[in-house]
Amino acid sequence: MAGSGTQTLAQGGQAASHDASKRDFLKILTLSAGAVAAGAIAWPFIDALNPTRQAMAVARPIVNVGGIAENTALRFVWLGQPIYIRKLTAKQIADNQFVVPSTLPDPAGYTDRVKPGYETFVVVVGLNTGIACELEGNDPSDTRGPFDGWLCPCDGSVYDPLGRVRSGPAPKNLVIPPFTFLNDTQIQFG
Amino acid sequence: MATQQAPTPSWLETRLPLCAAWRAAVTDYATARDQPYLATLPALILATLIFLLLSGAVLSLFYVASEGSAYASIQFILRSVNFGWLLQSFHATGTTMIFGAVYLLLFRAILTSAYKGKGDLAWFLKLTLFILLLATGWLGYVMADGAVSYWSLHNAALAGARLNGFPGVISEWIFGGPAGPGTLARMAVFHVVLALLMFGVIGAIIVANRITAPLPGRRPVAFHPYYTSQYFAALVIFAVIFAVLVFFAPHLGENRLNAVAASPLVVPASLAAPWYLLPLAAIASVVPSTFGGIIGVIAALAVLFALPWLDRSRPGVPTGFLYKLLVWVLALDVFALAIATAAAPSLVTEILTVVFIIWYFLHFLVLTPLSTGAL
Repeated sequence: MAGSGTQTLAQGGQAASHDASKRDFLKILTLSAGAVAAGAIAWPFIDALNPTRQAMAVARPIVNVGGIAENTALRFVWLGQPIYIRKLTAKQIADNQFVVPSTLPDPAGYTDRVKPGYETFVVVVGLNTGIACELEGNDPSDTRGPFDGWLCPCDGSVYDPLGRVRSGPAPKNLVIPPFTFLNDTQIQFG
Repeated sequence: MATQQAPTPSWLETRLPLCAAWRAAVTDYATARDQPYLATLPALILATLIFLLLSGAVLSLFYVASEGSAYASIQFILRSVNFGWLLQSFHATGTTMIFGAVYLLLFRAILTSAYKGKGDLAWFLKLTLFILLLATGWLGYVMADGAVSYWSLHNAALAGARLNGFPGVISEWIFGGPAGPGTLARMAVFHVVLALLMFGVIGAIIVANRITAPLPGRRPVAFHPYYTSQYFAALVIFAVIFAVLVFFAPHLGENRLNAVAASPLVVPASLAAPWYLLPLAAIASVVPSTFGGIIGVIAALAVLFALPWLDRSRPGVPTGFLYKLLVWVLALDVFALAIATAAAPSLVTEILTVVFIIWYFLHFLVLTPLSTGAL
C-alpha cells in the first residue's frame, strides 16, 4: 500500500499531485468517520451519567392545585423541604396588594410574590427564615397571627398571606421555590 | 521527510522527555515487514481492557454490591439508566471479547512455540494475565447476583470455609467467611483491583514481545505509520465483531437461568458457568471434593507454566508438523470440553468430559515432550 504510493510519487508530475489529493481526501474521510464513530461510542457513556427519568420525576414533580380551597394551603414535601401552596381570598389580596414595600422588614411587592396570570396562588417554602421551624397557618383553624398569614411556633415570627415577614426575629421573606404553572391547575417544580 | 535540523527542546521536553520516549517507542522504532495481524492481539486486549474499565466505571455508579440488592440494581441499570442496557451489554460482551482474545493469544503462543528461548517470560506474563482474567471474570460473574451466580459464590465460599490451614486462612481473608450480605462488596473490590493489575501485566507483555519480535532486517519500516495503521485495521475488524455480538448476541455463552433472581432456597437445574470459565470449571469439578477442585485448577495451569520445559526442542528450531497438529487437536479438545460441560449432565457427557480432560494433560505431559524431542 505504502510502496505503491511511493512508486507513483516517483513517476512525478501530474500523477503525484493527483494521488496526493486522493490521499488527502481519503485521510479527511477516514478521520471524519473516525470522529463520528468516537462520538457515537462516547455518547452512551456520557448520557448514562445524566439523571434517570425516575430521578427527574422525583426532582421535578407536578402538583395539582385545582383542588385547593380558598384560604387554605396545600403542604407537600419536595427535596426534603415543606412546600406550601396557598390560595388567597379576595380580602387577603386587597389587604396586601397596596402595602408600601419600603415599610416592610424585607421589602417586596405583591407582584414579586405571585406569578402573573395566577395571582391567587402563593407558593413558598414553609420554613421560618429565622430559626428553621415549620410554620403554622395552612388551615383556616390554625393560629395565623395578626396578618392572617403564617406564624412561627418557635420564635413567634409573623408572616402575611404573601409570605412576607411582618415582625419577629426572622429577617427575610419566605423563600419562593423554582416552579412554573403548566396550566390553571398544574404546577411543576424544579 | 522531516528536516535534519534538530529543534530546540521545549520547556516541558527538557524536564519530562515524553516526545523522546514517543519517538523511541513508536515513530523511530524499526520493525520487520509483513508481521501478521494476530501480532496485534496484546494491543487489542489493552483496548478492550480500557473499554471494560470505562463501561465498568459507569456501571459502578449504579451497581449496589450487596446480596439481593445487586440483582435489583442491575435491573435498574437495564431499565432506567440512560443507555444502561447498552453499557451493560458493552461490559458483558467486552468480557467475551477479551477472553476470546486471550484464549487466541495463548493458542497462538503454543502453536508458534513462542514460549521458547527469551519468550519464556512473555509466556509467563501471558499466563498471569490469563489467571487474572479468569479471576476477574468469575468475580464479575458472581457480581451479577443471578440464580446461578449466587450458588457459584456460595459454593466457593463454603468450600473455602471448609479448608484447613493456610488455604483456609486465604479463603477466609477473601470471602470473609461463608457468603453473606457483605460478601459481594468484597467481590466488587477484588474485581476492580485484579482488573487494574491486568493493565500492568498487558503493558509488560507488549514490552516483552518486542524482545522476541522478528529482527528488522536490511529494510526496516518505522512502527508508525506502517504498523499503527495495521493496528487500526485490526481494531476496526475487532470492533465490528464486538458490535455484532453486542447487538445480535448480547447474552452469548451465558447460562439462561442466571437471568432469574437468586433464591437461597432454590438451586437452579443447571449450574453451568459462562463460556469463558467452562474448561477450567470442568477440570475443577471432575474430582468431587474441595481439594480435588483446587488441585485440578492448579494442575491445569501448572502444565501451561511448565511448557517451556516440556517442549524439548532447542530454541530457534522450527516446530514440526506433528506438534502443530497436536496443538490444533488440543484447541478442539478444550472447545469440546467446554461444550460437554455446558450440556445437560448425562453418562455420555460425563465420560466425554473425563476423556477430554485426560487428553488435555496427556497433550502437555506426554505428547509435547515426545513430539518435540524427536526433532
